[in-house]
Amino acid sequence: MGTNDQTRKLPRGLRLVAVAGAAALTLTAGLATPLDPAPRQARAADDGKQVLTVAVAQSVDSLSPFLAVRLLSTSIHRLMYEYLTGYDPKDNHAIPGLATRWEPSPDKLTWTYTIRSNSRWSDGERATAEDAAWTFNKMMTDDGAATANGSYVGNFRRVTAPSPTKLVIELKKPQATMTALDVPIVPKHVWEKVTDFSEFNNDKSFPVVGNGPFVLTGYKADSYVRLKANKNFWRGTPKFDELVFRYYKDQDAAVSALRKGEVSFVAGSPSLTPAQAASLEGADDIKVNDAPGRRFYALATNPGAKAKNGKRFGDGHPSLLDRRVRNALFMAVDREAIIDKVFQGHAVEGEGYIPPRFQDYFWKPAANQKLVYDPAKAARLLDRAGYRKNGDGKRVGKDGKPITYRVLCHATDPNDKAVGKYLQEWWGELGIGVRLNCLDNVTDPWLAGEYDLAFDGWSVNPDPDFVLSIHTCGALPATPQDTGATDNFICDRKYDELYARQLAEYDPAKRADIVKRMESRLYDLGYMNVMAYPNAVEAYRTDQIKSITTMPAKAGNIYGQDGYWSWWSAVPADSGGSSDSASSTGVVVAIVAGAVLLGGLGAFAAMRRRATAEDRE
Amino acid sequence: MTTTTGTASGPRALARQRRRASAARFWRRYRAERAGLYGLTVLALCALLALCAPLFVGADVSSVTDAPGRPMQSPSAEFPLGTDQFGRDLLGLVVWGSRVSLLVGLLAAVLSVSIGTLIGITAGHFKGWYATVMMRITDWFLVMPTLVLAIALATVMSRSLTTIVVAIGVTTWPTTARLVRAQTLAVETRPYIERAKALGGGHWHLMSRHVLPNVMPLVLAQTTLIISSAILAEATLAFLGLGDPAIVSWGGLLQDAREAGAVSAGDWWYLVPPGIAIAVVALAFTLCGRAVESVLNPRLGVSR
Repeated sequence: MGTNDQTRKLPRGLRLVAVAGAAALTLTAGLATPLDPAPRQARAADDGKQVLTVAVAQSVDSLSPFLAVRLLSTSIHRLMYEYLTGYDPKDNHAIPGLATRWEPSPDKLTWTYTIRSNSRWSDGERATAEDAAWTFNKMMTDDGAATANGSYVGNFRRVTAPSPTKLVIELKKPQATMTALDVPIVPKHVWEKVTDFSEFNNDKSFPVVGNGPFVLTGYKADSYVRLKANKNFWRGTPKFDELVFRYYKDQDAAVSALRKGEVSFVAGSPSLTPAQAASLEGADDIKVNDAPGRRFYALATNPGAKAKNGKRFGDGHPSLLDRRVRNALFMAVDREAIIDKVFQGHAVEGEGYIPPRFQDYFWKPAANQKLVYDPAKAARLLDRAGYRKNGDGKRVGKDGKPITYRVLCHATDPNDKAVGKYLQEWWGELGIGVRLNCLDNVTDPWLAGEYDLAFDGWSVNPDPDFVLSIHTCGALPATPQDTGATDNFICDRKYDELYARQLAEYDPAKRADIVKRMESRLYDLGYMNVMAYPNAVEAYRTDQIKSITTMPAKAGNIYGQDGYWSWWSAVPADSGGSSDSASSTGVVVAIVAGAVLLGGLGAFAAMRRRATAEDRE
Repeated sequence: MTTTTGTASGPRALARQRRRASAARFWRRYRAERAGLYGLTVLALCALLALCAPLFVGADVSSVTDAPGRPMQSPSAEFPLGTDQFGRDLLGLVVWGSRVSLLVGLLAAVLSVSIGTLIGITAGHFKGWYATVMMRITDWFLVMPTLVLAIALATVMSRSLTTIVVAIGVTTWPTTARLVRAQTLAVETRPYIERAKALGGGHWHLMSRHVLPNVMPLVLAQTTLIISSAILAEATLAFLGLGDPAIVSWGGLLQDAREAGAVSAGDWWYLVPPGIAIAVVALAFTLCGRAVESVLNPRLGVSR
């Protein structure tokens, strides 16, 4: 930050030269060199608009709130639509959103919400209770509309709107998530024209009518998502005029773009690598935000995929149906080494299903329950389960063949591959083979149940209902051809009973208690083995963003919050632009060096050519 | 024709003698190519290093669980080229990676040249509709962008070394096929082929006994040249993440470095050594290939 940084620049330039040289020498085709000689200004565009550009990597699954489950898409929905209630950015308690007040009846089966009268859709119409009622009713009656958030309305008996400001929800059974209904409310007058909710992706005509702090004005798959500030947002207009999520499929390219000032923010999804974070910490005008994450990072096991109609499908390894095998596999995973080596301290060791950030629901196994790292014990457990080693030291399955598990990994997440390498060696010691199957798109084999183990991870909301619901039998697909809300086809009766009980429990302490028992059950089952809670490591330019809200206020993340706080609250910095020169000199030097090297090679080749040509004559 | 006076040499011994003489002649001419000698020296060193690697680095250099260092250490006395993201010794990894890179390069080149030679000779020999069909197929492969085709192949097949070899092999053969066909056509117009035909030589005899030996120099030169592009292609595919992540190769190391964020962090020791290694080996093969070409190609060697 100070002047003594000046001395650091020259070596960086030299290092870049070396890097560019290696790249230029090595890569024949123009591969992934994101050097753009004419950097575009991220903010203060020609017309004086303040633009906040966020570099993201995750593809949008759908822009329809009825279908979207990915972090980026749901974050965008937070910006586009209001929810009945929100979470306070400081401590996650429920605060008014579209609803200003809510009140349960004495039997807790009828909830009455007062809808605010000062929220307008971006086409001018007023947002009313009728819109909310229509949204919920649609999800209750149309299976297509229940794809993403069906778990919230499964227990609803009737939803009505007696007046524009009054919404009444009648329940079949008590439901604890009534102040945490993470369902975007959509405008009825726009959405009632939609015929097939399972197909409609809400990405054809722009701007998309909404009432959140931003209005979606443009989207191109894997290229950008553009939103403009909603001037009439009831909580106040956002400070930035435009918010653009721009795609950088390569994290390093995103980091260079941040250094150049081409983007204002690099989303920590996946988190910046330790090397990137360390190098950015020393850079001018860049702040690295390293906060306890809301995600868990787990190793999911295929429990034999099946549909609600009882049909089994997929080809998970039969040995994994034995709980001892699953536990033994996890006991051979050294979680401490993963934190230490792969995450290099930017994560916390995994325990229960819910990260420690959500203290009320955080659970950790007791000493005698914990599957401690103990390869010898794991080997004994496998022996006892009947999977013994053959002459070559490989454990054989019941079919007499050596066991080799296919581990599904995300090719876009370096951590998956790194941990995969460790698994290969740890389980190799046990006599079990591992085949890493790293794909850009894991969805197809995942939904088809064609894997043995898989790297898995979900962002957990302040109310854990959703992440708990994806492991119930009710979330299984109706038939093998359908897509269910299920994560990895877990279906356990005891877990389901507990799930129903926590959903019906209004007393927070008692509910937390049941949730912890569910986590305990999940831990013992060994289908979801949480290895770590990765930190959210993200970075932004302080000369473009003056201030931004983290959630929770103390040590919180910025990208992928449970709300619109970060982008809504971001304040543009006054100055800017000067930051470009310093880092772009390095780039220019690199380009020149690359050109010189290439030129040298070319001249050399030409000389060779002339030499042989002379030979010809 | 040499007029050897009646030593009890049968045709076998004669042929052996002639081969020895031509090998000596080849070596004499090759020695005159200075760049070719440099290339050969570098290659010999690399080959030696790759073959002896098990003696001084061993397979456990790629083990992540017993990695000796801390992640991303810069070069020091203990680790002359620093360490990678797992704390493994990069010098050892680069040496170990040479085995895979060279192996894939060689196998892919052999596969590619074999396909090319087979198609080239048969198309040149049989002519007619067979040649037309074969050459149209060759043209089709020739106009397809090699890298894109290789990526497509590597994506649909499972991730392994074989996949990479096949992906490179089946996409780079058309140039060889065209060259070999042209040479075959030229050879087949020579009078002795006609004589062989008149004496009852069949297709197989003509192709294997008369055409193949004559196109062999071309094939040899072509192989050496293709090896360098095959090594580059292997590195490219591995760099794009299409290789087997469990195998250490130079391209794979570059890919690891990129994913670990070494480029933006400026950890040059992770990127430069494998990059230079690829460039040097590819260059060495090219130099050798050119030297062999200029020595063997009859049309290039007239003046000497």
